[in-house]
Amino acid sequence: MSKVKKTIVYWLLLLPLVVVILFPFGVMFVTAVRPRAELFVYPPRWTFSEFRWDNFVDMWVKTNFGGALINSLYVSVASTALALVLSIPAAYALSRYRFGGKGLYRNFLLVTQMMSPIVLVLGLFRLMVQFGLVNNLNSLVLTYAAFNMAFTIWMLQSYFNTIPRELEEAAWMDGANHFVSMTRIFLPLAVPAMVVTGLFTFINSWNEFVLALTMIRNQDQYTLPVQIFSQVAGRYQVEWHHVMAGTVLATVPVAIVFSWLQRFLIKGMALGAVK
Amino acid sequence: MILPSLLLAMFIIGYPIIDLAWTSLQQVSRFGQLRGFNGFDNFAEVFGDPLFYDSLWRTLIWTVAVVGGALLISLPVAMMLNDEFFGRGVARVIIMLPWAISLTMTAVVWRWGLNGRAGLLNASLMDLGIIAEPIEWLATAPLAFTAEILIGILVSVPFTTTIFLGGLSSLPQDAYEAAMVDGAGWWGRFRYITLPLMKPFINIAIVLNVIYVFNSLPIIWVMTEGGPANGTDILVTYLYKLAFRFGQLGKASAISLIMFGVLFAFTILYVILVMRAEKEEGVKEEVSASVEG
Repeated sequence: MSKVKKTIVYWLLLLPLVVVILFPFGVMFVTAVRPRAELFVYPPRWTFSEFRWDNFVDMWVKTNFGGALINSLYVSVASTALALVLSIPAAYALSRYRFGGKGLYRNFLLVTQMMSPIVLVLGLFRLMVQFGLVNNLNSLVLTYAAFNMAFTIWMLQSYFNTIPRELEEAAWMDGANHFVSMTRIFLPLAVPAMVVTGLFTFINSWNEFVLALTMIRNQDQYTLPVQIFSQVAGRYQVEWHHVMAGTVLATVPVAIVFSWLQRFLIKGMALGAVK
Repeated sequence: MILPSLLLAMFIIGYPIIDLAWTSLQQVSRFGQLRGFNGFDNFAEVFGDPLFYDSLWRTLIWTVAVVGGALLISLPVAMMLNDEFFGRGVARVIIMLPWAISLTMTAVVWRWGLNGRAGLLNASLMDLGIIAEPIEWLATAPLAFTAEILIGILVSVPFTTTIFLGGLSSLPQDAYEAAMVDGAGWWGRFRYITLPLMKPFINIAIVLNVIYVFNSLPIIWVMTEGGPANGTDILVTYLYKLAFRFGQLGKASAISLIMFGVLFAFTILYVILVMRAEKEEGVKEEVSASVEG
């Protein structure tokens, strides 16, 4: 098959899937900029009379979007930092040293990776009650870091394995100790891997829902997914244009970063995660 | 060097498991006070509860349908994305998009898109002349559950496709060339080369997806909260309701523990599959090395 013919056939085959994937994005944008009076029209239709960009401003003020945004940013940044700080030495050790219990540690990580928060959510809630961390964003920082660690250690280790040992060995020859070789030679080389891994952790934390819904009861502490959910759930009248404006702002930046990142994920999967 | 990470994981993941096990054997008040051991009463109550069996049954349907659907769609999609055609980069980005967005947001948007009065799905279908009247998609359990399964498939496709792309890129090209020389057609190449060689990746995709889907709360919770009348409850949503709405903590921790057991079994299955895949890969490498030698 020639490339042109292939292009046509493939796109035709992919078309239904592409349409279904793009449909919610269409719904989001069209609703977010629609005048409120045109939300419930009969018969329902895609078109509307004018672009109401003010919806975004209204939504920001009325739903305390800024506060939730700051909460989400805090939780995501702090949990990513914590996960990285704990993962880097562990990944380095796994990549460079032999030690007793290495296999056991790997299997332990795997089990933590498989445990989803939802199965443990009741136990976690009781744990946070004991420590007085309910309604405290730090409860999310701790749990997100813990649940992401298996992934970050894995990703980092598979990248660390690709950094040649000889560079560090050369530094030792020149009289540097292990600490110096690690901080001066190794870590600068590992920066790209850390950035990519960190961004994935950030996105995971940014999108998490179940734990945030459980631990945070106070409206001022809501993260974005919970804040948007709370505008929909259990309400008789939902301001859908505000909800959709909120989802646009909360998802589009992350989706753009993710689209750029996904090729690293495919590479990382091929390198290590599947193994 | 691994100690700090181990401590945090033990604290956040290990402790709750023990706490759940401890709680599941006790009588618990609505407010979480433990009132002494009652043996396996909580488990007996769970196994005597018809709603538990309903949720279990729906969990089975949900998991099998979503994982099966995702696999059936992802394999051809991955094979196309692994091939060269114009606009492949764009196609890849679009296919991966649902992964970038939190399940909560996806579910919120679909809840509105499927709205019975003004939903844009109804608008599209009416424009196309497929339906004459708007349909209340989420008002009845069977229809709502079907919609949730389809959305579940949609959001599982990117991850599954990614695993398959990793697998496809590792397939040996010379096998295909040899098969072409022997006159094998497209179907023959797929049936006798791609499928057998992809088997370890397919197995891994199945197990990982089963684990994720089995545990997935947001789609169902956001779209219908297990309703109407518990008609779309699966185990996780039922568990969540018991724990945080009805305050039946003993029963909820018993269900958590049962689910933990199931997950643990799947994790072990995953380890076995990965080890076997690695072994096969080792064998393959040895074979190709000996052929080259």
